[in-house]
Amino acid sequence: MMEAAALERKYDLGVIRWFSVMAVVYLVVGASAGVYIASELAWPALNFDLSAITFGRLRPLHTNAVIFAFGGCTLMATGLYSVQRTCGVSLWSSKMAWFTFSGWNVIIVLAVLTLPFGITQSKEYAELEWPIDILIAVVWLSFLLNFVMTIAIRKSSHIYVSNWFFLAMLVMITYLHVVNSLVVPVHLFKSYSIFSGVQDAMVQWWWGHNAVGFYLTAGFLGIMYYFVPKQAERPVYSYRLSVLHFWALTFGYVWLGAHHLQYTALPDWTGSLGAAVSIAMIIPSWGGAINGVMTLSGAWDKLRTDYVLRFLIMSLAFYAMSTFEGPLMAIKTVNSLSHYTDWTIGHVHSGALGWVALVGLGAIYHLLGRLWYTDIYSPALVNVHFWLATIGAVIYIVAMWVSGIMQGLMWRAYDEFGTLAYTFAESVEAMHPYYAMRAIGGFIFLLGVIVMLYNVAMTIHKSAREGSLLTARAQAIADA
Amino acid sequence: MADKNPFPGENNTGHIWDDNIRELTNPPPRWWMIAFWASILFVVGYSFLYPTWPGITGFTKGMLGWTSIKEYKEGVDQIDTIRARYEERLSNMNAKEILADAELSQYARASAKVPFGDYCAACHGKGGQGNEGFPVLADDDWLYGGAIGKIQETITLGRKGIMIGHEASLSGSEIDILANYVTDLSQGKDNPDGKNMFLQKGCIGCHGMDAKGVQIMGSANLTDAIWRFVPTKGESIVESARKTIAHGVNDPNDPLTRNAEMPSFKDRLGETTIKKLAVFVHQWGGQ
Repeated sequence: MMEAAALERKYDLGVIRWFSVMAVVYLVVGASAGVYIASELAWPALNFDLSAITFGRLRPLHTNAVIFAFGGCTLMATGLYSVQRTCGVSLWSSKMAWFTFSGWNVIIVLAVLTLPFGITQSKEYAELEWPIDILIAVVWLSFLLNFVMTIAIRKSSHIYVSNWFFLAMLVMITYLHVVNSLVVPVHLFKSYSIFSGVQDAMVQWWWGHNAVGFYLTAGFLGIMYYFVPKQAERPVYSYRLSVLHFWALTFGYVWLGAHHLQYTALPDWTGSLGAAVSIAMIIPSWGGAINGVMTLSGAWDKLRTDYVLRFLIMSLAFYAMSTFEGPLMAIKTVNSLSHYTDWTIGHVHSGALGWVALVGLGAIYHLLGRLWYTDIYSPALVNVHFWLATIGAVIYIVAMWVSGIMQGLMWRAYDEFGTLAYTFAESVEAMHPYYAMRAIGGFIFLLGVIVMLYNVAMTIHKSAREGSLLTARAQAIADA
Repeated sequence: MADKNPFPGENNTGHIWDDNIRELTNPPPRWWMIAFWASILFVVGYSFLYPTWPGITGFTKGMLGWTSIKEYKEGVDQIDTIRARYEERLSNMNAKEILADAELSQYARASAKVPFGDYCAACHGKGGQGNEGFPVLADDDWLYGGAIGKIQETITLGRKGIMIGHEASLSGSEIDILANYVTDLSQGKDNPDGKNMFLQKGCIGCHGMDAKGVQIMGSANLTDAIWRFVPTKGESIVESARKTIAHGVNDPNDPLTRNAEMPSFKDRLGETTIKKLAVFVHQWGGQ
């Protein structure tokens, strides 16, 4: 109990607890929305002719909920936790962290109040209208400032690698979000981008791909670099590798956005450059995966008993797979088949379900015991969650591979008369079994998250019953 | 922190964070380093082949001479070469002549499949089976005629049914009698009272003395059971007929009127595609 009290005294953990719980809650919400819209695609009657719950309205709600509500809360929980632990100091400003927490949640509520009613900028992953965009910038900057200042007052001599990745994310997302959100407001709920035509598209995908590159990759690599060695209790495999792949990713990622716009009005050189650098990103991406997985060298047996470590290591396998798949899809010949098909959706989800969710949830499981000073309520349920998540993700990805490649082939198939072999509606009809399969895969994944929410609630309940957190707090106050 | 190493015998960098986080001095795997440099060389090599680097006024063109427009045009050329053999002959023929040529009509049907799916199937069904409120194409019953030329005319100009609503000019019981009459007609039953009313009230003006409809006007044949407006769920045939008589079809003065309009595809599809579509539709029930 002494150690718990010492930790309570040394670090600022209250806000981390709230971010962690909300991350899991938002994943249940966001994944439920995902399962629902996936079901709408398979069984369209589910939209009940209500505009607010049609696919077009709920889809941005789903993406915003999982990326910004779940992803954001996860990054803020793990980032603000690991920066304290690796700097050996408490947060620079507790009040500012609470501002970040409440502001971020207000943004999420505003998203729920606007997106289903068609209030949108129509920019993918940047749908929220301009007043909310301004709020995002302010709250994000509060996160950045707190993070940077905590590093500035650190007691450790060097800045640990997880913090480089978090910093790269914080700086680049600020820059990307602000530039992509430059608009001329018409009124409170409507605005127009200051960029026009193909330039607007280019800026949008420069943001779109770097939301993936810096928010969902750099940020989550930051999580990986703290939580993998911590959970495995092993040293990081190679310092030099981390330096090399960090700078290669940071330098390279910003070039990639144009590969989303090949064979469009975008100049050819821009698309080629994006595609070429995409290919060059496979190896730097694998650098992170290797460094994480090799951290286990000499301790592989831990995977047999440590279910949390399974989440973290499986996430790296998905990361390595999807960072190979993405560049492959950027090559012109592959892109001309894969673009606009479900293959893209499958690719995004192998990153989102396999990498982002697994590494983030593994980190939150790691935090549970350390934030509430008790053992996880049920390690067996962690294992159940691991398998539900893995199987659900694999079913989802496989369904979209088959469906996407079939779509691409059907759209370009010609018969012996040189005329198109299939109508568009026939390709839609052919998708049906895979859409059903995808909805089932997503549902299995969602079940896993519900199991986790239960485990989180029961762990907190257990902590309350044991009084472990309360005792630690009381002791910390008494000691101070 | 670096002065004493609590993990003796480990090749770590000497920096320790959070009690036990440290990094080893291992070099990156050799294959990784080779692949890393190869990736950079790949970008250089790729940029020699494809348009890649921007300049002040233009960009590097690449040795392959590739452009996306060129790739697109090559694809279109390939297809056009296969099609040319048929298209050249087809362009000088009318729909009836195409229908008479076995090879060309096969080509026309193949190439009309996708336009039919994209433009026609939403209303008429993908096999011409119709939809609630939209005519069946896969039968021998045609409002405006099922000859190939007529089908082409229908697609080109579109069609709009006209029948005025009779709620103001006829009494409720008169409408009832007429509705029962046409229902009996479609079922092959006698109804002398109804027939009198039908003659008296001028229905024959559009539907003809024999009530079989006049194709030039697109008026309905009332003696068969294939009707343009079918009862909705829970509605009887008489009730449905009553609605048509009372409110008419496309009657601008009656908000309850039935709608029956097919748009013109002249500007959307062009003559060649329409000819092909006429041949395509004709295969199901043309006359």
